[in-house]
Amino acid sequence: MGKVLIIGYGNPLRSDDGFGWHASRLISREVAGHDVEVITCHQLTPELAEPLSQCSRAVFIDADAEGEPGEIHLREVLPQALSSSALTHTCSPAGLLASAARLYGRCPKTVLITVSAQSFDFGDCLSPIVSAALPKVVDRVLEIACPDGGRPEF
Amino acid sequence: MRKIMIDAVTRIEGHAKVSIQLDDDGKVADTQLHVTQIRGFEKFTEGRPYYEMPSITARICGICPISHLLASSKACDAIMSVGVPETAALLREVLHCGQVVQSHALSFFHLSAPDLLLGMDSDPAQRNVLGLLEKFPDIARDGIALRKFGQQVIEGLAKERIHPSWVVPGGVNTPLDSAVRDKILSGLPDAKATVRRTLKFFKGILDQFKEEIEHFGNASSMYAGLVDAAGKLQLYDGGIRFKDADGKIVADHIAGRDYRNFIGEAALANSYLKAPYFKPVGFPDGVYRVGPLARLNVAKSCGTSMADAEFTEFHQRLGKIVPGSFHYHYARLIEALYGLERMEALLNDPAVLGQQIRAHAGVNCLEGVGMIEAPRGILIHHYKVNEEGAITWANLIVATGHNNLAINRSIHQVAQHFVDGNHLQEGMLNRVSAVVRAYDPCFSCSTHASGQIAMHIQLFSPQGSLLDELKSA
Repeated sequence: MGKVLIIGYGNPLRSDDGFGWHASRLISREVAGHDVEVITCHQLTPELAEPLSQCSRAVFIDADAEGEPGEIHLREVLPQALSSSALTHTCSPAGLLASAARLYGRCPKTVLITVSAQSFDFGDCLSPIVSAALPKVVDRVLEIACPDGGRPEF
Repeated sequence: MRKIMIDAVTRIEGHAKVSIQLDDDGKVADTQLHVTQIRGFEKFTEGRPYYEMPSITARICGICPISHLLASSKACDAIMSVGVPETAALLREVLHCGQVVQSHALSFFHLSAPDLLLGMDSDPAQRNVLGLLEKFPDIARDGIALRKFGQQVIEGLAKERIHPSWVVPGGVNTPLDSAVRDKILSGLPDAKATVRRTLKFFKGILDQFKEEIEHFGNASSMYAGLVDAAGKLQLYDGGIRFKDADGKIVADHIAGRDYRNFIGEAALANSYLKAPYFKPVGFPDGVYRVGPLARLNVAKSCGTSMADAEFTEFHQRLGKIVPGSFHYHYARLIEALYGLERMEALLNDPAVLGQQIRAHAGVNCLEGVGMIEAPRGILIHHYKVNEEGAITWANLIVATGHNNLAINRSIHQVAQHFVDGNHLQEGMLNRVSAVVRAYDPCFSCSTHASGQIAMHIQLFSPQGSLLDELKSA
C-alpha cells in the first residue's frame, strides 16, 4: 500500500461546516509512523491536484448540507470532467482528481466521507449530534489509512 | 439611458460590482466600481488589547493574512517602543517574501492567466483556472508549483499557511530551524526557474495585447511605494516615495508615523471603499497608484541581480515611467523573482538562525503606526491605545484602497473604448473586469469606511424616474 492522503476541509467558524477540519486535526495525531499525509484546509483549491497525484489512496472529509444531521456517508469518488466555473472557490474532489490526472498523469483511488450537518451558523463548535459522529469518522478513516492491525482496506 | 451591471466581478478577492451608464446613443457615459462589503474591523476592535490586533486583523484576509499580521505587529512594536531583534526582522521579511511569491502566483496564474492565455473573448465557461489547466497544463503546473512554494515557506516558518500566530509584537515566537532553512533554500532554484520561464513566455505574448495595453488604465497618475535609504525597492521596511506622472519625486522617505501629512482619505458614494489621495494635491486630482507597477516606477532598482536585469529591460521596453495598468502583470512577475532572490539572501545571512527573536515590553507609547508593502501595495495599520493598552481608535489603509481612484478611472477608460451598448458582447464586459483584475484588488481587505461612509439613497418610481434622494455630508 502506498502513501495515503487525507484532506479534511471546511470552515471551523461556521459550526458543522468545520467537521472535516476537526476530523483531520484529530486524525493527524494518530498517524505518526504511517505513510500518511493529512491536509487541513478551509476549502479545496487547484493546488491540491499535485499532492493527490503523489499518493495511491485519498480520503476527503467534508460536511454535507443534505441528509439527517449526524448521518455518515462514504462513497467512492471518480475523476470527473472539469467543471465550468468562473470562480476559484468551487473545486470538487472529483474535479481535483481529474486535474491530477490531467496535469500529472496520476490520480489515486479515493473516497469521500461526509457527515450531514445540523447547523452552518456562526460558531466554532460542532452541534452535539454531529460531534457524536466525529469518533466514528476518525476510526473509519484510520481503518483506511492505517490498515495494519486487521483493519479493512477500501 | 441604460445601465449595465457587472455583478459580481469574478476572479478577484472579495466582492465588487461595476455599473456602466450608457447614454441614449448606447455610448458609455459614466462608470463606477462599487465595493459592496463592510467589515468594520476599526470599530469592533476598540477595547481589545493591542497585542491581540495582529491575530484579529490577520482575519481580514485569507490571501494576504501575513501582510496584516506584519503591519499590525509593526504598529504594536511602535506602541511598545521597541526595536525587534535582528533575527526577528530577518525572519519576518523571509515570511513576507513567501507571502508575496504565493500571492503574485495566485494573481498571475489563477486569476489573470485565463484572460491572457485563453483570450479576453473566449468562452466564459472555460475562461477560468480549470480551462487553463485543460489547455495549458505546463503553465498551470508552474502556477501550482510556485504558489505551493510560497505557501511552504509560510508554513515552514510560521507552522500554518493561513492565519499563523508566529509573528508577535516585538518579533516572532520561535527561532528558525536550520533544517527548515535548508529545505527552503533547496527549493529556490526551481522556483526562480519557474518565474524566469513565465517572464520569458509573458514577454513573448505582450504584442498580442496592444489594444489592451493602450487602453487598460493607460493614463497619468502619481505612484507610491516603499524604498530604502538608497531608493531601492523595499517590501518589509522603508519609507514612502511619491513620484508624479513624469517621474519626478514629489515626496520621499515618508515614515509610517507621518502618513497623514501626505495621504488624505475621501469617501465615495455607492461604495464602502475609501478613496485615499495625495494630500498636497488634494481630492480627487491627487490620484496615485500602488502595487507592483507603482513600486517599479518609484524605485531606482530592485537590489537583486536577476530582478534588476528584468527591471532594466522593463523600463527599456516601456519607458522610465510605465503608465499602463496592463503592465501590473509584468511588474508582478518581476517582483516574484525579487521575492525569491531576496529570500535567498536573507536565509543565507547567519543571523537568521539566531535565538534572540523577541523584545518584551508593555505600553510605552499611546499611538503606533505599522507600514509594509503588501503584495498589492502599501498597507498601513494605525492604532491608538489607552494606558492599559486597550485600543481606543484604529485606522487601516489597505492597498486596494490606495488604488480605488485609479481603478475607477481605468474602468471608465476601458469601458469607453471597448463597450458598445448597441452591440454588446461578453468580451467587452470581460475587459472591464480584466482591468480590475490587473490591479489584483482585494476587496475583502479594502473595505474600511466605517464612520465615514458617503451615503447616497435614491428613490425611484416603477418607471425609473428619480422621486427623491438623500445624501450625507
